[in-house]
Amino acid sequence: MVEDVEGDISELFSKRSKQNKLKAKLFFTLDVLLLFRPGMIRNFSPINKLINYAMIRNYLKITLRNALRYKGFTLLNLLGLIVGIASSMLILLWINDEVKVDKFHENSDRIYQLFRNVHQGNGMISTNRAIPKPAADLMVSEYPEVNELALLSWEIEVLMEIGDDANKEEGRVASQEFLNMFSFPMVLGDRSTALTDITSIVITKTLAEKLFGSEWRDKAIGTAIRIDNQYDLVVTGVIEEPGSNSSIRFQWLASAEAFISQNEWVNNWGNGSFGVYFTVDSEEDARVVGERIENVILDNTKDNNLAGHETLIVHKFSDYYLYGNFDNGVISGGRIDYVRIMTVVAILILIVACVNFMNLSTARSGRRSKEIGLRKVMGAYKESISGQFFLEALFYAFVSVLFSVLIVLIVLPYFNILVGKTLLLDFTQLQTWYFLVGVMLSVGLLSGSYPALLLPTFNIILSLKGTIKQSPTSTFFRKGLVVFQFAISTLLIIGTAVIYKQLDYVLNKDLGLDKENLVMIRMDGDLGQRSETFKNELLNIPEIISVTASSGNPINYGRSTSSASWEGKGDQEHEVNVLLTDTDFIEAMGMEILAGRAFQEGFADSTNFIINEVAADIMGFDEPIGKDLSFWGIDGKIIGVVKNFHMRDMYEPIAPLIITSFAMRSYPLALVRVNGNMNSALLEIERITKEMNPVFDFEYEFMDQAYAESYENERTVSIQANIFSGIAILISCLGLLGLSTYTAEQRSREIGVRKVHGASVNQILILLTKDYSSLMLLAFIVAIPFGYYFMQQWLNDFEFRTTLDPSVFIIAGILTFVVGVLTVSAKSYQAATVNPTDSLKDE
Amino acid sequence: MGKYSIGEFEEVVLLTVAILYENAYGISIKEEIEKRLKRKVSVGAMRTALNRLEKKGFLISEFGEATAVRGGKRKRFFKVTPYGKDALERVMETRKQLWDAIPSIAFDFKFA
Repeated sequence: MVEDVEGDISELFSKRSKQNKLKAKLFFTLDVLLLFRPGMIRNFSPINKLINYAMIRNYLKITLRNALRYKGFTLLNLLGLIVGIASSMLILLWINDEVKVDKFHENSDRIYQLFRNVHQGNGMISTNRAIPKPAADLMVSEYPEVNELALLSWEIEVLMEIGDDANKEEGRVASQEFLNMFSFPMVLGDRSTALTDITSIVITKTLAEKLFGSEWRDKAIGTAIRIDNQYDLVVTGVIEEPGSNSSIRFQWLASAEAFISQNEWVNNWGNGSFGVYFTVDSEEDARVVGERIENVILDNTKDNNLAGHETLIVHKFSDYYLYGNFDNGVISGGRIDYVRIMTVVAILILIVACVNFMNLSTARSGRRSKEIGLRKVMGAYKESISGQFFLEALFYAFVSVLFSVLIVLIVLPYFNILVGKTLLLDFTQLQTWYFLVGVMLSVGLLSGSYPALLLPTFNIILSLKGTIKQSPTSTFFRKGLVVFQFAISTLLIIGTAVIYKQLDYVLNKDLGLDKENLVMIRMDGDLGQRSETFKNELLNIPEIISVTASSGNPINYGRSTSSASWEGKGDQEHEVNVLLTDTDFIEAMGMEILAGRAFQEGFADSTNFIINEVAADIMGFDEPIGKDLSFWGIDGKIIGVVKNFHMRDMYEPIAPLIITSFAMRSYPLALVRVNGNMNSALLEIERITKEMNPVFDFEYEFMDQAYAESYENERTVSIQANIFSGIAILISCLGLLGLSTYTAEQRSREIGVRKVHGASVNQILILLTKDYSSLMLLAFIVAIPFGYYFMQQWLNDFEFRTTLDPSVFIIAGILTFVVGVLTVSAKSYQAATVNPTDSLKDE
Repeated sequence: MGKYSIGEFEEVVLLTVAILYENAYGISIKEEIEKRLKRKVSVGAMRTALNRLEKKGFLISEFGEATAVRGGKRKRFFKVTPYGKDALERVMETRKQLWDAIPSIAFDFKFA
């Protein structure tokens, strides 16, 4: 190519120079310059293509051969990556599901919800979703920004009867706009009219199948269901049951109109009732509504001096699931905290797995040094060698992703049980593929980066001789990686330990009452009105010590009033909880009376009250006994102070409480203290309940179990944290195993010489373990401040919390250390017991 | 077009190679084009065209004997391949088709 062009040009030159020498020279230069064009300077023919298939095939072949040659090492490497990727995949699936809750509604961007801030006298603000209905009416009539507004009640349990078939089902009453605003898929019926009629009810598919059997499609619509043995509602629609992707759950939805007409109290500005949801066009509109609505309750309750100080705020509905905790009227997090924790855990595990890969590949690089040297001799660029190692890492990542998908598919059903969700790895969704490819690329590039940058820098001659020595920086870097890995593992273990400790604290905390051997029985129908007879019947059972009726579960109680007044009460308003019980309550619950006395039979106590310590503090009496107290129009005297007991969960402080024995028309709950054989007692209780109340199923709960279940969320997180920190330390140990194998190999001759000179197995073991032990110590020291900071943050959410004492850290440290040292010494022991002649005979 | 894709300058070069038959090498092609078409051709532009044509398979080339006038450098002689001939015919045909399709009145500029 060059030859003939050169010839052409010189021929031209000689021709031209016959006429004019200068001109010929000029043209010659011009011609040469004009030769600088893309096609001529460099030929972009296949051999120089940017992607060279032949070489890639070669790289893959070499990768495979290396992988098969050192099977144990490959297994370690892959195992680390697979476990890491699979666990982070599970976590990310969970996170993805959490984040999507309530986002499936078409309008979810435009749906907002009202919240009510109740300002208490002590400066605290408590927030709830129950809004006085007049506020909602006002929004409909006077707020042009509000497009549509829906009311939705709390969960109500009713008895549903069709013929002889009776079931208790939880559901809600909703205004007719509800189905339009939210996109719960309708199976049968018309969503725009389904709740218009006052007698209409919409049931879920699940419930329809239960009530009407397999032919529910034909039978359900138009059939009347008897509710609570009082009135009939006609089924107008069947809807898909809201799953774990919805924070609003129900089995049925009934028209709110009937409920409103029967419950006059909802029309009072002072009574919170329905949840209020509304749509607006823009965030700006929502803000405007928020400003206008803030003081509406105050403005409308000016004349009522018993009304509390209450304001309304507006928040996006779809945010509520993740940001559901309010602290003094302002959102302070919620489930998002767990989502964040788990995101960090997923990323950390992935990083630990990548670090593992880096460590193992570079440590083993000595094995590859000859190959690298030879490649360089044959003319490989540094870039192509780093390309090779990137490709290798990507290949490993690819294989690991394949296996982890397999593992996730296998484990997912069990994981679903653990987290109570229906997660699914949906391959029909493009997102899943983005995610898988994304994980593969990021794991591949991250874990390949260090080997790919380090290995090509090896000196050719040294690497061909096979005497490549790891540079101090690379050794340092690798040690750094080990420290990093173990710091993360220790951190996760500290986290797990603290969560566990807090959970243990919560579950075993003295609640101020004796929750063991306590059976809670719901008194359905009119049984609540016959509680005295029921009590006496139950007391005939020999195993039963005491029975009491109450207006609710004392450790999960939320009935409140703000209209209490007492001697010397100032202008400040206080939300005071009221618990209605019979006279046996204090004794049956095992509560402690600090001053005064408990209710007693024959003492005409119906207008006497017992208050808790917090209430006593707020009221500020030096001697509360005998002081006047009135609420709900009942005037009475304080006769005792009960020791504080926990009415709410541990996130909240203990609230002020008044216990009254003012006879309730119907008590919903009977609390039975059993001593002796629980099973035979339960059988007897069931017999008596069935006898007295044949229509309803016998339902009971153990108070201690119900209490433990209310911390289900925390328990799940604790189990997850347990599993995943276990996985992190497992991966770290896999890495450590690989590294210690490598060290033991490298130092085999040194060990041989030492043994010849009389070193004992123990001494050699210590020698080999020493390095890694110090690294783990360092990791521990690094992990402590982080662990302390993060876990203190987490604990701060709890009003009642365990202390973050050194024992947690020490346990975590010792655990990591022991596991790590055991891993290292397993391999080191093997090396230390080798007969020195074997390791020295080559010399 | 498709596999017979060929540019205007490439067509000129290919035709010239055919004209010169056994004597088609760099300078002779260049001079022939300059002589017949009265247009300047640089060595580089022509080389690029020749390379491209060869890559497309319209031309083949071989080295001739070394001559003194070229400083001992050999000439590279080009020859049109049957495939190249097809391409040229194809170009002519398409042109002809287009010409035939022009209605006679289109070029009747009398009343324009």
